[in-house]
Amino acid sequence: MPRILLNLIVHHLHLSSASKMENLLGLTGKDFTIVAASKAAMRGATILKASDDKTRSLNKNTLMAFSGEAGDTVHFAEFVQANIQLYSMRNDTELGPPAVASFVRGELARSLRSKKPYTVNLLLGGYDPITKKPHLFWLDYLASVAPLPYAAHGYAQYYCLSILDKHHHPDIELEQGLKILRMCTDELQRRLPIDFKGMLVKVIDKDGVREIDWDSSKAVKSA
Amino acid sequence: MNSLVAQYSRPAFRNEGFSEREQDEFSQITPPLSLRFAMPPIANPSSFLRAVTDDHSNPNCPIKLAHGTTTLAFRFQGGIIVATDSRASAGDWIASQTVKKVIEINNCLLGTMAGGAADCQYWLAYLGMQCRLHELRHKRRISVAAASKILSNLVYSYKGMGLSMGTMCAGVTPQEGPALYYIDSDGTRLAGNLFCVGSGQTFAYGVLDAEYHYDLSEEDALELGRRSILAATHRDAFSGGFINLYHVKEDGWVKHGFNDTNPIFWKTKLEKGEFSNVTSELV
Amino acid sequence: MLNANSPLASGPSYSFATPPNQTSTNIKQHSFNPYTDNGGSTLGITGDDFAILAGDTRSTSGYNINTRYAPKVFKIGEDDGTGESAHIVLSVVGFAADGNALKERLNAIVKMYRYQHGKPMSVKACAQRLSTILYGKRFFPYYVHAILGGLDEEGKGALYSYDPVGSYEREQCRAAGAAASLIMPFLDNQVNFKNQYIPGSGEGHALEARKATPLPRAEVEQLVRDAFTSAVERHIEVGDGLQMLVVTKNGIEEIYDPLKKD
Repeated sequence: MPRILLNLIVHHLHLSSASKMENLLGLTGKDFTIVAASKAAMRGATILKASDDKTRSLNKNTLMAFSGEAGDTVHFAEFVQANIQLYSMRNDTELGPPAVASFVRGELARSLRSKKPYTVNLLLGGYDPITKKPHLFWLDYLASVAPLPYAAHGYAQYYCLSILDKHHHPDIELEQGLKILRMCTDELQRRLPIDFKGMLVKVIDKDGVREIDWDSSKAVKSA
Repeated sequence: MNSLVAQYSRPAFRNEGFSEREQDEFSQITPPLSLRFAMPPIANPSSFLRAVTDDHSNPNCPIKLAHGTTTLAFRFQGGIIVATDSRASAGDWIASQTVKKVIEINNCLLGTMAGGAADCQYWLAYLGMQCRLHELRHKRRISVAAASKILSNLVYSYKGMGLSMGTMCAGVTPQEGPALYYIDSDGTRLAGNLFCVGSGQTFAYGVLDAEYHYDLSEEDALELGRRSILAATHRDAFSGGFINLYHVKEDGWVKHGFNDTNPIFWKTKLEKGEFSNVTSELV
Repeated sequence: MLNANSPLASGPSYSFATPPNQTSTNIKQHSFNPYTDNGGSTLGITGDDFAILAGDTRSTSGYNINTRYAPKVFKIGEDDGTGESAHIVLSVVGFAADGNALKERLNAIVKMYRYQHGKPMSVKACAQRLSTILYGKRFFPYYVHAILGGLDEEGKGALYSYDPVGSYEREQCRAAGAAASLIMPFLDNQVNFKNQYIPGSGEGHALEARKATPLPRAEVEQLVRDAFTSAVERHIEVGDGLQMLVVTKNGIEEIYDPLKKD
């Protein structure tokens, strides 16, 4: 009875509600992908660090953002990072974002069927220098993968996807992309009951991965 | 025929007495360094362990392990301040008021312990051994980043088995300068300027955050560390005893006493007029 | 499988106060239960040139008394019946079977150490070793509170106390077991002079605390007797006999005093 089995898996691997407080956002444009992750590292009622970087670059043109079970996140990300770098060294070539995404999904799927699965949600943003196309992949801890123009994890899903549905367009310029991202982060700052300490924003384009100065010190006006 | 039978039969008492592994242990000169732990002979060891040792899920559990703490460490211009209380409690019982919660890994690395006392003591001692081996192998001292990663990878490999530790590694090395890491038994490892860990962490954060600056003088930094622990011992019933203070500098750490909280409390109250809620009259 | 306690399995329950009733079949879950508590209490006190470890000799299970003479204090590392070669003592209280296993194991290790190194193990080394032995069973613990006693390298009394998984600390005095909560506060006051102040040294908070100094042996022995006779009065699991092992530079002396047997 496959339905019961699926139920069991979902039951055992329920993500803690705390990890929903970790927000990941991603969106693509004409020739770039933006990935943003909240900066708070939380444990219980305490913010242990307000400048946490929940991203790792896997190679020159792919960046992975992660949220989920403490410990699992960084461990899984660094494991994937090491293996992608090993691949580049052995074959003297970089994997394109779709290939990286299927490798990561494969590792998550393998772990899901092991004794102790990784409970990690991911966004994978990249720019393919050969086809000159931006890529964004949404992956969850059950090893689902979806290529999307824009995506989110945590409570950001509930607040930001509607904003992106309204304003996003596939061939926007970076400036417009950042403007839409600002609408998203402002809404999170306005409506989320917990301060997530602002977002760390990174852009992936033909020049590789770079961080963008993202000021979240300004108070957002409430309605 | 008898020799044939003897060849294929097992000795009658083979499973009695000490196992081969245990006998090995007796005859070895040093205790085994390979991490072999005895496991209960059942399918799910971690749930068994939770049933017998975790008083959170089972208040009547037979084995009470020491828990409850306030520890803090922060980076400032003159190095790193590390301060802890000294109480160990097992349920409501105060098991000890004189625990040394700062573990001297070597002469320039310190670790703090919160959570299971034995877990912290054992694994920080193990870390000390690994750091020494690193020194011997590479002819230079290990970085704090590397040392803390050894510990975090180690505890991560035991994730879900019931280890309980919240620890900070503080040290000064030529490559990194003063470095501070937070490591816990979930496998989290964070670099930072300031951490408080334990049941009294929120109270310590309250005092520490308000007056913390990177440019603090050495004297002010020591006093702030002491005052933050005092605040936690005053409000958190699981913290108390003595205040253990350390200062980590470039040429190693310096101990600044293991002092009873009670006189420090009264001194703070009477000389600075703080703790005004404590009155001598019953209201 | 459905959880036997879930409302689905036992039908709807209408009040939060009444727990969901058990099913009529009364399913029993088998569990692994390798521990019991055999009661009793131990304590240790050190002086300038000696260490005393003591324990009562009653062994209980539940409200039954198994025996009135089951030692909880042992000499460690003796290789003949006389015990003259031993210089370390160990007390274990909690689950007697685990306590015995631990004693046997430490005993073997301390002996092997002497055979291989040609010198007796120092108390400090033995204390560290006992900690690793206990931690070796971190995931299937020895259900015991251990105390180790002896003389350190300077000939001073040394005492180490342990939790079940091996965290340890050197102390002046320690009580463990069933009556620890009765004996330990008494020891804090009488050995470490906690809450004792020098009369006339000041008023209120200016009062000067009395400094703790090592006590002479006769006084310590009497403290041990007082601690146990008092514990016997107020704890059902303590009684029958008091066994004391005193470590001095001349060896280990054993003293047995009767306690009340009711």
